Amino acid sequence: MASLRSATRLAAPARSLFRPAVRSYATIGGEMSRGATPSRPVISEKDTSTIKEPEPEKDSKIKTFHIYRWNPDEPASKPKMQTYTLDLNKTGPMMLDALIRIKNEVDPTLTFRRSCREGICGSCAMNIDGVNTLACLCRIPTETTKESRIYPLPHTYVVKDLVPDLTHFYKQYKSIKPYLQRDTKPGDGRENRQTPEERKKLDGLYECILCACCSTSCPSYWWNSEQYLGPAILLQSYRWLADSRDERKAERKEALENGMSLYRCHTILNCSRTCPKGLNPAKAIAEIKKSMALGS
Amino acid sequence: MSVNMFSQRAVQTSMRRLATIRPTNSSMRILSPAAIATGQIRTAEEPYQDREQEHALTLLPLRLAATSPTSTSLPVSSEEANKLLASQRKNRPVSPHLGIYRPQVTWIPSAMNRVTGSILSGGLYIFGFAYLVAPAFGWHLESATMAATVAAWPVAAKVATKFLIAWPFTFHSFNGLRHLTWDLGAVLTNKQVIVTGWTVIALSFVTALGLTFY
Amino acid sequence: MASTARLGMRCARQLFQPARRVVLRPEHIRQSSPIVSRLAPFTTTTKKSILPPGPQVVHGGVNDPAPVPDPHPTHGSYHWIAERGISVLLVPLTLAPFAAGTLNPTMDAIFCGAMLIHSHLGFQSIITDYVPQWRMPGVRKAFDYLLMLATLVVGIGLYEFETNDVGITEAVKRIWRAGKNDATIEKSNLSGLGYDAKALKGQA
Repeated sequence: MASLRSATRLAAPARSLFRPAVRSYATIGGEMSRGATPSRPVISEKDTSTIKEPEPEKDSKIKTFHIYRWNPDEPASKPKMQTYTLDLNKTGPMMLDALIRIKNEVDPTLTFRRSCREGICGSCAMNIDGVNTLACLCRIPTETTKESRIYPLPHTYVVKDLVPDLTHFYKQYKSIKPYLQRDTKPGDGRENRQTPEERKKLDGLYECILCACCSTSCPSYWWNSEQYLGPAILLQSYRWLADSRDERKAERKEALENGMSLYRCHTILNCSRTCPKGLNPAKAIAEIKKSMALGS
Repeated sequence: MSVNMFSQRAVQTSMRRLATIRPTNSSMRILSPAAIATGQIRTAEEPYQDREQEHALTLLPLRLAATSPTSTSLPVSSEEANKLLASQRKNRPVSPHLGIYRPQVTWIPSAMNRVTGSILSGGLYIFGFAYLVAPAFGWHLESATMAATVAAWPVAAKVATKFLIAWPFTFHSFNGLRHLTWDLGAVLTNKQVIVTGWTVIALSFVTALGLTFY
Repeated sequence: MASTARLGMRCARQLFQPARRVVLRPEHIRQSSPIVSRLAPFTTTTKKSILPPGPQVVHGGVNDPAPVPDPHPTHGSYHWIAERGISVLLVPLTLAPFAAGTLNPTMDAIFCGAMLIHSHLGFQSIITDYVPQWRMPGVRKAFDYLLMLATLVVGIGLYEFETNDVGITEAVKRIWRAGKNDATIEKSNLSGLGYDAKALKGQA
């Protein structure tokens, strides 16, 4: 088996050589790369080529970016770190600007998600210099001696390059029923109202954009994402538990009343540390645990 | 066990030889959905030069997706598409995690809390077990004997051992208090977490040194 | 005993290399191209990472919610309260010996028991985290039972220690201070301690 694994690894480049030149949509079957385990090692940037700034000038500020690459067209291949150098004088201030510039001017094959470029959509969540954040809210460190490293969100299945598959994350979000649940209608037949004080309890909760930075920074979520809901989803769960208008709190708590969904949180607190919106999922989870213990 | 392994190896090598002689079967070739749909399943017996042509095509600067005869996008049933997606998912790598995440005063002490706890609890379990079976093996694990043994150790060994027990103890104790505070929902802002984290690290070392030379 | 050890070995092996059965089927062989099979050296060493994640499998459609487990307060909030309760109890029991020298036998026994439960809960938490039920239910069961057995055996051992020896706080104190106050240690007279006498009797 072991030798087979190495054999398929060796076979990978040969296979890519003979691939037909058709569009790659849905061409790769599961049987192709039995040897390629999800945890295959990443090829270091030392073993890959460097793609340089197209037109370097005299007083250019050249910064090096190592970016995680994996191409689904070569399913058995190992992910690799690709190095790019950019002149910071010609690049915008944010990491997303650097990525967009690389894609536009240097390497159009680089793949990443982005949309709003102002930290409201949560598309460009990725691991930059070891910390999960939104590329659009992350400044490029100006000291050119320090090389930047960009990875997809940690411990996620990679669709391509910096694009993780968040299907399960969204399925978990759906499982907590993220909407107002009421059995009664307000007496006066008008909208469901709450006092300013009650509304205030939702501050710091409703702002979450579900970028998954916190969940994928949590070691507990790395090991048990199948069953543990993770900080982002638990923060959302608390957002409905804390809502004075919701009438299904007991049901919501019951859904968390097991060993995995909530109690895999060991207050590691990477979530609050990394949240690009400055929210505090750890606090929300602590409040859920407290209210579940007190039965209130 | 080993016999089984060797026979397996023999099978493996002979099968590999077989594979060398007979070219690959069509079942493992790369198939585009279009090819599947149009029934253009390529076989391994097709001429080699054909593949070389394909290779040449890939070298062109632009992908000839639109012009290639097999690439006309035909409707794929949703069931078929889901199947292909499921099989593609199986090839996906997991992005790096523990190895690349920046060491921070949040998760490193948390990991250390578990490690130190395991050391202390593991020690307790080993001692409890050893004490129970000691009579059967003629070991002397009574406190007096152990104290006498330790008393005879050189000072360096004593200091090292004591520190290696004292630090996990102090760290786990102080950090445990921090965790208990968090469970009350208090001291949970980023700044507080960072400050208390470093405080616990410093305090654990100081008190461990104190205990070592106590 | 031997079978337990073997079981443990097997569990450990499965833990480090899960879901990969060495079963050789022809279709596996056909995967490697002719050229490669000639080039590939026969090696048995591969880098194994601890608990490598399996291939991605998404259960149900993308719009179906993830399944919600049945409520089990004994694994949920009650368990959590028990964990915290024991931890909180340990705080004064840990501080007291530093303030008062050593604990009296009753308090010492409570301290020892609390530490045992705290350790058990800690190990349980580790097993829950690193041996997931959904991935290797068999191994998980084995680990759970192994831990229960270990805690039981260690509990008996510690009970013996508490009843026959000087108690955990006093013992730690004596060993910690060994060589500094030799007055408390009588090297020559070990038979005064019940356990040793029992052992000696058993040998004779």
